[in-house]
Amino acid sequence: MIERLLNIDRRIIYLAVFLAVCIPLLIGFELPIKATPNVRAVYDTVEGLAGKSDAVVLISFDYGPSSQPELQPMALAILRHCFSRNIRVVGVTLITEAVGLAMQAFDTAAEEYGRVNGTDYAFLGFKAGGAILILNMGQDLHAAFSEDIRGVATTEMPLTRNLRSLKDFDYVVDLAAGYPGVDEWIAYGQERYRFPLGAGCTAVMAPDFFPFLQSRQLNGLIGGLAGAAEYETLVGKRALAVSGMRPQSVAHMVIIGFILLGNVVYFLHRGASRS
Amino acid sequence: MYFLQRTLPLLVAFAAGMIGIFTYYIPVAQPVEITTSTWYRIIAAFALFLGIHSLLQMHWNRVKRKQAGWAFSAVVYIGFIVTAILAVYNNGHGPLQPMAQGDGLDLNWMYTHIHVAGGATMFSLLAFFIASAAYRTFRARSAEAVVLLVAALLVMLGRVPIGALISEHLPTVSQWLMATPNLAARRGILLGVSLGAIATALRIIFGIERSYLGEKGQ
Repeated sequence: MIERLLNIDRRIIYLAVFLAVCIPLLIGFELPIKATPNVRAVYDTVEGLAGKSDAVVLISFDYGPSSQPELQPMALAILRHCFSRNIRVVGVTLITEAVGLAMQAFDTAAEEYGRVNGTDYAFLGFKAGGAILILNMGQDLHAAFSEDIRGVATTEMPLTRNLRSLKDFDYVVDLAAGYPGVDEWIAYGQERYRFPLGAGCTAVMAPDFFPFLQSRQLNGLIGGLAGAAEYETLVGKRALAVSGMRPQSVAHMVIIGFILLGNVVYFLHRGASRS
Repeated sequence: MYFLQRTLPLLVAFAAGMIGIFTYYIPVAQPVEITTSTWYRIIAAFALFLGIHSLLQMHWNRVKRKQAGWAFSAVVYIGFIVTAILAVYNNGHGPLQPMAQGDGLDLNWMYTHIHVAGGATMFSLLAFFIASAAYRTFRARSAEAVVLLVAALLVMLGRVPIGALISEHLPTVSQWLMATPNLAARRGILLGVSLGAIATALRIIFGIERSYLGEKGQ
């Protein structure tokens, strides 16, 4: 029995994880979601801009399709928050893969709040250069991005006409899942041009950025789908991330159960081997 | 030939490195940085073409030699050609116009229904492998492993809402673990990696490290 449990068929584990994800998606139940201080800091910064006329937030969409289940709900939650408070948003991306996802996020949120492209928001698209592009944006935004994704000149668009550098943004949020990402925005952007910077990243990356929170190079951090769910709760518009907390919670419990079972079996087997 | 293969790359690396350092740290030299960073971006754009060439050549060799899994390399070619045709066609607007949105089979459709769906699927498979690997390997074999195991379980529980249902203290404990012991360890690793990166950069700038030229470091 112990031997069988020790060498359990991996398909049984896969089935348990599959059911742990599927069943909570089908059965609706409420879970309490309380915002952590790091997520609340990003929310409070955006909320603080609500009363300011001509407030502009820059969002850098630095994630691809593989990490979009975690980061796309985050992007939507921040965009909804900004649009609901009449805060204008400029989007850029340092990676080619993110262009379509960023456009989808802008289209969805803009349609919900009736925002106009070029006036209330603008997506400038992708340019090669990675970290150096951040430096260029700090030097001259119009030179780094001469036109938006539609081909409209940034010097002519009402939203971007007066934005000359990263310093002109009231808040910058980087949503990243790798390189170039948060590290580059800190080293080449925040440190150089001294703007408030918040970040969103995958759950597995979040522990890497805690030193930057303490040094205040990052003023807030949204980590993974849980962070996105916290942000959605703060905004008051529960969407994909909140509903994703049910399967994630149950899947975590199942994995913890397997870890505990694995250890019990391991010690039983070790005891039997010694005796 | 020696000059072109050895001396010139070393001189370029030295000049690029020194210009990078001076323009970043010396305010009067910063106008030069605008020019050099623009050069860098142009080179980076051309590097994309180099990457495409390298990728296609590698997969072409696999198909030509019928190596194991050559059919996957053929799929790479099919995917590349179809994507390139759709991008150049651009819903009838041509390659020099901004991306046009259409309702049928176009670049956007390929991106949403193949790239995004495929990428998300690949990443989600991790959950299954992690569960299986955790069951087999995450064992309390030593005191250090026990500490790691307990910390991991607390963070796993504390990071999802169900943790707060079990105990209201779990999210607080999880946050403390991330913001104190994790932070200290990460900062140590970060400082070590950064010092190593500085040392490696200086070795490259001064021509001590030449592995990028195909030589062994001296």
